[in-house]
Amino acid sequence: MTPGEPLVRWDWIFSHLGDVGQRLGEHLLLTGIAIGIGFVLSLCLAQLVRSWSWLYGPITWITGVLYTIPSLALFAFLIPITGLSRLTAEIGLVSYTLLIMTRNIVAGLQAVPADVRESAIGMGYTDRQLLWRIEMPLALPVILAGVRVATTTTIGLTTVTALIGQGGLGYFILEGILRFFSTPLLVGAFLSIALAVAVDSALVLYQRLVTPWAR
Amino acid sequence: MHQERYRAPVTRSAAQTPGGVSVELRGVSKRYGGGATAFIGVDNISLAIAPGDFCVLVGPSGCGKTTTLKMVNRLIEPTSGQIFIDGQDISTLDAVELRRRIGYVIQQVGLFPHQTIAENVATVPRLLGWDSERIRRRVEELLSLVGLDPGVVRRRYPTQLSGGERQRVGVARALAAEPPLMLMDEPFGAVDPIVRGRLQDEFLRLHAQLGMTVMFVTHDIDEAIKLGTTVAVFSEGGCLAQHAPPSRLLASPASDYVARFVGSDRVIKRLALISLADVALELGAGPQGAPTLARTSNLRDALSTLLSTRADAVTVVGEDGVAIGAISMERIRMALDDVARSWPENEASSEGPAGRTH
Repeated sequence: MTPGEPLVRWDWIFSHLGDVGQRLGEHLLLTGIAIGIGFVLSLCLAQLVRSWSWLYGPITWITGVLYTIPSLALFAFLIPITGLSRLTAEIGLVSYTLLIMTRNIVAGLQAVPADVRESAIGMGYTDRQLLWRIEMPLALPVILAGVRVATTTTIGLTTVTALIGQGGLGYFILEGILRFFSTPLLVGAFLSIALAVAVDSALVLYQRLVTPWAR
Repeated sequence: MHQERYRAPVTRSAAQTPGGVSVELRGVSKRYGGGATAFIGVDNISLAIAPGDFCVLVGPSGCGKTTTLKMVNRLIEPTSGQIFIDGQDISTLDAVELRRRIGYVIQQVGLFPHQTIAENVATVPRLLGWDSERIRRRVEELLSLVGLDPGVVRRRYPTQLSGGERQRVGVARALAAEPPLMLMDEPFGAVDPIVRGRLQDEFLRLHAQLGMTVMFVTHDIDEAIKLGTTVAVFSEGGCLAQHAPPSRLLASPASDYVARFVGSDRVIKRLALISLADVALELGAGPQGAPTLARTSNLRDALSTLLSTRADAVTVVGEDGVAIGAISMERIRMALDDVARSWPENEASSEGPAGRTH
């Protein structure tokens, strides 16, 4: 940072509004894809656990190991295989969502009261109807809690994907660091936090909307 | 003649419009595990229930009565033996289809917390694919039938109702598709005694009105005697000790075990089952100043009145208040003897198998 320069140069921000919007869009897209794919994969893993409960240990172990790999190390490992691509970014982002979401989906399904399950089966629900009409709706608060944690973490993590040229708000942070220029760095960091808070609030509202019985 | 009278509880349902199916268990057993650690849940039970009967399975906890009930809608599969509903071996039927034709109520009710009361009651009709207008009408009808105001409760969620109201919704939900058979597992066990009594009375009325066959599990012998047209007493180890109408169970228990289980006050319980309208009264009113009882009262009321007033006889009056006779201690004793005499030991019973004795 050049001495005497203000911490935030507003004129830079106003002249780069289009740029800011584009990076914000990229960030949302990267996060959205990661959460979407991660959720579907977690759902499949949770279904495996529902059918074969002994799989719970191995699945949490594997997703737990994935969760602990440092993102930079993972990208470094993937680049020779998948290159500086969106695929590389998403493989990393998705793998970090699996542990949290799988665990919450399993916990949510397991928390469905036994008497509810018994009366549903006793009245003639098929296994699939039981899952989609009874267990999933009742597990929704716990599942959405997992989605919220995974989403806020992923929004933070997505800033790292700028390192492999995938844009997003991390682009500004990277630019700020490389050019010793505080304004884009602060813009990137601030918007990333604001985005996390906004999306989290939206998910809370959504949960209240779809679980009227829990009020 | 007495025989006819004292079997009134059995004919209570037999006289109904055909709304029920027969249920028969033939040598049904359920064993868990194998070898030396095998646990016997239900041991070679045979039980025949006539269409429209209200059969109460009663016994101490862990005696296999709930397991027996759950084998009828195939929540549990028997290890051996066969179960027939309306003459059909249920192991040859699709389990899901079978369950949709059988009403099922459990103690914890198991209402779906995320659905409104109307949605809960509509469960089976929806599974059966009824159109929405028919479902809506049926839900209204059912909620009224179980004594709830559809306008008030329809849009509520289960957590917004009291325990007794939830239990009523559970019964309405089970009745939704007019099942010819209801399975009920201690349905009134979790509510307080006053509400329980009211729910029992209302359910008896529903049974009389709809005429479905009922299998009802309880550990409470008084509830069994009050509700059942027949009572199946289970003993430890999943054995059936006796299956008989309540009056007969009390008058001639098949074993010491059954006698102990129905209680040392079984004579008093029997008195409560016999209406003054059904006994041979002394002609004419009782002595001057004798207490009076309506003919709809039972022998236990009569005994209680005799003991508390120290009178020699009680005058029995009809609905119009006119004396139709009198009852004394001696007459009560005679009425009990009549019943005992009408059931000789080991008679080939006409109300279904009397069950094995141990």
